[in-house]
Amino acid sequence: MSTTTSPAPSAAAGGTGLTFSGVLRSEWIKFRSLRSTQLLLLFTFVAVVGVGTIAAFLRGTIIHQLMKFGAERPGAVGGHTLTMDQAISAAGAQGINIYGTPIAGLQLGILVLGALAVLLISSEFGTGMIRSTMTAVPKRLPTFLAKAIVLVVVSYVLTLLAAFATFLISIPILHSYGISMSLGLDGVVYSIFMGGVYVAGVALMGLSLGTLIRSSAGGVIVLVALFFLLEIATSLLGLVPGDFWKYVGQYVPSVAGGRMLEIGDKAAFISPLSGGLIFLGWIVLVTVPAVISLKTRDV
Amino acid sequence: MIEAVNLAKHYGSKTAVDGVTFTVRPGMVTGFLGPNGAGKSTTMRMIVGLDKPSAGSVTVNGKPYVKHHDPLHQVGALLDAKAVHTSRSAYNHLLAMAATHNIATSRVNEVIDMTGLAAVAKKKAGGFSLGMGQRLGIASALLGDPQTLILDEPVNGLDPEGVLWVRNLARHLAGQGKTVFLSSHLMSEMSQTADHLIVIGRGRIIADAPIAEILAGSQQAKVRVRTAEATRLGELLSGTGVQVQSNETETLEVTGVDSRRIAQVALENQVLVYELTPLATSLEDAYFDLTKDSVEYHSQELDDAAPAGALEGTLK
Ligand SMILES: Nc1ncnc2c1ncn2[C@@H]1O[C@H](COP(=O)(O)OP(=O)(O)OP(=O)(O)O)[C@@H](O)[C@H]1O
Ligand SMILES: [Mg+2]
Repeated sequence: MSTTTSPAPSAAAGGTGLTFSGVLRSEWIKFRSLRSTQLLLLFTFVAVVGVGTIAAFLRGTIIHQLMKFGAERPGAVGGHTLTMDQAISAAGAQGINIYGTPIAGLQLGILVLGALAVLLISSEFGTGMIRSTMTAVPKRLPTFLAKAIVLVVVSYVLTLLAAFATFLISIPILHSYGISMSLGLDGVVYSIFMGGVYVAGVALMGLSLGTLIRSSAGGVIVLVALFFLLEIATSLLGLVPGDFWKYVGQYVPSVAGGRMLEIGDKAAFISPLSGGLIFLGWIVLVTVPAVISLKTRDV
Repeated sequence: MIEAVNLAKHYGSKTAVDGVTFTVRPGMVTGFLGPNGAGKSTTMRMIVGLDKPSAGSVTVNGKPYVKHHDPLHQVGALLDAKAVHTSRSAYNHLLAMAATHNIATSRVNEVIDMTGLAAVAKKKAGGFSLGMGQRLGIASALLGDPQTLILDEPVNGLDPEGVLWVRNLARHLAGQGKTVFLSSHLMSEMSQTADHLIVIGRGRIIADAPIAEILAGSQQAKVRVRTAEATRLGELLSGTGVQVQSNETETLEVTGVDSRRIAQVALENQVLVYELTPLATSLEDAYFDLTKDSVEYHSQELDDAAPAGALEGTLK
């Protein structure tokens, strides 16, 4: 008896013991080995590119109208033609940014990848898999970190690829409206590279919500509430006279996160940088309790 | 080696495990026996750190499980047949588990072959039968070739061949000097597998003894004698191989002589005897006797079958 020294890893099983790179590999194997995950990723790519393509047509039409008929109502008498640059900034003033075309489908991306992130852990609680996972990694946090890394990398890369694909597709579409789309256009490169940051952030929040709530339905509902309903609610409240609610509306996760993606000047209280910081604040707000809950609650 | 000291777990006002202290030693199979809801699974979950003890502590191979750097090599645990993602194949499940400890793919294939899962390894675990799920759970427990094996009702749902296989596996691993701890509700199952028994009821340890001792204790029939002259009859009966105990006035518990012999001695010596009851005559009886006060969920007895008989019937 007494304090026996732990026996060395057995020869039959081999292995080096628990390492973080091992946990990361394990989470990657889990991620890629679910058919539903593969399908959702494919769906996300197609949907984001699809919506972006439609957006390219719509934005092309609007800017084309502006170039033809001027800043007044399309077709209004007395309108005068604008140059492409003038038309683009006139449209931008109305919130229709040509440079944002590559990530026009992002709302769909955050919805699907956010839900996927919730499910990445809530399905483990639902099926009982979490007990196998936590027996192999009893310190628990490495698993959370590994899942977060897998999610961040996958969401970022997928969004980047989808944004770039949309960009390529939008070139001939916009060209047909007489607009030249290129990486040189102010904000295009930025939006292509930043879209994934936003989606990765949403995925992190999804993972935290799934960890905290442990139920797939509950986690997805809260995520949708945070990213869609909250914005709708505050924009309705924005109709209340006075600036207070308009101000509050800038702080909801979807608006603050969305501001990160826009370099153009839009009627807004916060800059892209502060938008990003507020968004980061939201991520911390759900991740900290999630991590504490995972570490302390029974599984 | 598993060492629990005053280990307790409360779920709200419900006490699942009530301050148990026990040691599970290497080189033998230790059975963990108790009726439904006795606290077996809860105790096992606490051993591998899934549930935090409300009080007390438990160590595995000298350390709390969470402190080990190679948990899967220390302990292999089958806690619940349902600890698997239903949409993932058995092979990928084991591959993911193995990856955490950098265990080679060849070992994954090895445990798949050992547990007879080769034919279904690439199928979704959600479609597995109870027994197949159990085999997958055992396969993941064996993955790290652990020093200590914890199996919660391992034969649950297995076919006779599977039951025999688990029994031989447990004996084989114990023979290699490993610690084997397995739970069951069934005394008969334990009597064929275990060297040592820990019996738990309502979260408390009722018995903790080598199985040989429990067998000896129950095979040597004990007889309860109520008599007007307990001391005198006790002296008359005592002799080699006879044990006489007196816990209550006018009551003796006698082992080593049968009821007929006791009655004869009493008659010859004109001692008044008003009760002669044989006690704990079989292993199942011993178990019922041990746990009768701690069974929480009683089932209704069938009209035309004695409960012990009915149980025997289903076991054999
Ligand atoms: N997560 C939980 N929340 C609340 N009560 C629980 C929880 N887990 C177990 N219990 C209760 O604790 C008691 C012990 O349960 P446990 O599962 O450990 O028993 P067991 O000996 O494994 O029973 P069985 O033989 O039926 O598997 C039971 O009364 C059970 O209802
Ligand atoms: Mg149980």
